[in-house]
Amino acid sequence: MRRARIMMAFAVAGATAVVGVLSLVPGEQGSQAAQSVARPPSPGDPLTGDEITRAGQIASATWRSHMTTGRAELLYVERDDDKEAGDRRRADAYIYDYRTDRLVVRTVDLAKGEVVEERTGRGVHPPPSRGEETAAAELLLADPEYGERVRAAHLKAGGRPLVSAADLGLRALTFTPRPGDKVAGACETHRCVRLFVRLPDGSWLDTSRIVVDLSAKKILTLEW
Amino acid sequence: MFLRLTLSCALLVTGLTGAAGATANAGAAGAAGAAGATDPARNAQAAPGSQPSCSSPYRIDKTLPNGARWRLCWEMRTIEGLTLTDVTYTPKGGETIGVLRSTALAQIHVPYDSGEPRFHDIGTIGDDAIALKAADCPGGERRNQFVCVTTRARGHGYLKSDGEGVSKSVQGTDLVVFAAFQLGWYTYLVEWAFGDDGAITPRIGATGSLSGFTTTPAHGWPVGVGSTKFEESHNHNVFWRLDFDIDGSRGDVVEQYDFTGSGTSKRKLSRTVFDEETKAVNSRMRWWRVVDSGVRNADRHPVSWEINNLASAEYRGPADEAFTRADLYVTDYRACERLASTNPTPGCGKSVDRYVADEDELTDPVVWVNVGFHHVARDEDADPMPTHWQGFRITPRDVTAKNPY
Ligand SMILES: [Cu+2]
Repeated sequence: MRRARIMMAFAVAGATAVVGVLSLVPGEQGSQAAQSVARPPSPGDPLTGDEITRAGQIASATWRSHMTTGRAELLYVERDDDKEAGDRRRADAYIYDYRTDRLVVRTVDLAKGEVVEERTGRGVHPPPSRGEETAAAELLLADPEYGERVRAAHLKAGGRPLVSAADLGLRALTFTPRPGDKVAGACETHRCVRLFVRLPDGSWLDTSRIVVDLSAKKILTLEW
Repeated sequence: MFLRLTLSCALLVTGLTGAAGATANAGAAGAAGAAGATDPARNAQAAPGSQPSCSSPYRIDKTLPNGARWRLCWEMRTIEGLTLTDVTYTPKGGETIGVLRSTALAQIHVPYDSGEPRFHDIGTIGDDAIALKAADCPGGERRNQFVCVTTRARGHGYLKSDGEGVSKSVQGTDLVVFAAFQLGWYTYLVEWAFGDDGAITPRIGATGSLSGFTTTPAHGWPVGVGSTKFEESHNHNVFWRLDFDIDGSRGDVVEQYDFTGSGTSKRKLSRTVFDEETKAVNSRMRWWRVVDSGVRNADRHPVSWEINNLASAEYRGPADEAFTRADLYVTDYRACERLASTNPTPGCGKSVDRYVADEDELTDPVVWVNVGFHHVARDEDADPMPTHWQGFRITPRDVTAKNPY
């Protein structure tokens, strides 16, 4: 969950605040970030926390206003391991624009400090980020009917009222509609996720029919 | 010595003439073999592969009791989770050879038997890695909490009696690299075993909890007391992406072997060389290999790794899940082709069946393996559910000229 907060902070506060936040991360981050070390990373090492921060800043430079308003989000930064790039340290920043439903993947050359490649597409959906998991849970809680059900289930399982989405164990997966889907057909292009919700007693809510459309900010109920 | 060589070459060619493309390939292989030993470019290219490109704690370097050495790098990628790169093998007393440039999971597709839901379980699984305790990594060391590097006994490497009551035997050992991921109610154990015999065993274990989805008797199995709650059956269709680079990316070719004849006393070897991107399905005696004809063992046979034992349920999904309709795919390397379905990169195909659709010429093959397990719940799957495993084998074929022990 740590990284979720970082990405959210990035989206809201912009780049300047992020340096301070991310410097706490190396060694603790669940994924990819290499340990904080004095020596420079070897070509095949995972990205360091500093490299992730820098790549995110460079890739997002022209996107900051959109990220501040929540129109777009930096999902995550992955090491680019294209073998044609040889030993160059490169990072792929995944940026999603919910207004135009475009995924933008910007490849940053860390030595040059610049974006060297950009790919954009509609209807391409990388896995949901931690920030998107929280956003999806907030939409679910804001839904009059489902929100009530989640709160009731949480109270029953945990013996205390739910305060925020952070009280729930969350995991989101990309939702891909089947051909001819009447309810969730828009998810061909919209950013849609399934959400798994774990309650304080370790049980999971049955959310198998629920899809959260992050582009339309809507909850969809699948029919099958 | 020379005679023996000539003979074995001749036998090889004769034995293969029935197969498609065999003559041309054998000729090319012969030429490459002749050049191989003295080609300085070739030797120069081998050098980078012999040293993993990573440093501590991402570097794994293990010499097993028989002297076999495996070196590789690991990375916990946000999307694919545990990814192994720059895998090299050094047989006992032999030279180091690059095997895999990278390997990782490429999808866990989980369709339920009633038709819904249908999950593509690869999310940002690197973020779902479980911090391992010492007890979770017996006899090994944990790297950055999430990766276990250990060794494990594999039983008899061989056992042979000389007929006088004296037998020789050795015990096999594997280097094991694994991580565990909590993906919803399931825990997946993602593991690669690197054997002292040069074999690699990728496998995945599903444990944790059942989903608890209930269904009709036609799509499930009764769990709990009596026959009121039917837990829904489902598949775990697991895909691996394997970028083989045997001694560098140059010269790798994928071949399929079949043995024709059924209900007859004879079986005949049949070889198909994949020149273009393609897909293939399992057959009981079928296997594939990635071979680099420019790299020879001491017997002057081209070095290869064989892909076999795909013990798969062979799930075939509906038309919109065409990626489930083959057990093995061979694509030409493209950095953007990472997952077997729900591929995350714009300007690239969305699933592995699309990657092969344009039938590009193969110059740097990447192999995708699909192994399915049909999970019909049973009472024993009560929480915490015992692990069920699925995977396949990658075995050396003519990497060493002798028994690797
Ligand atoms: Cu299962």
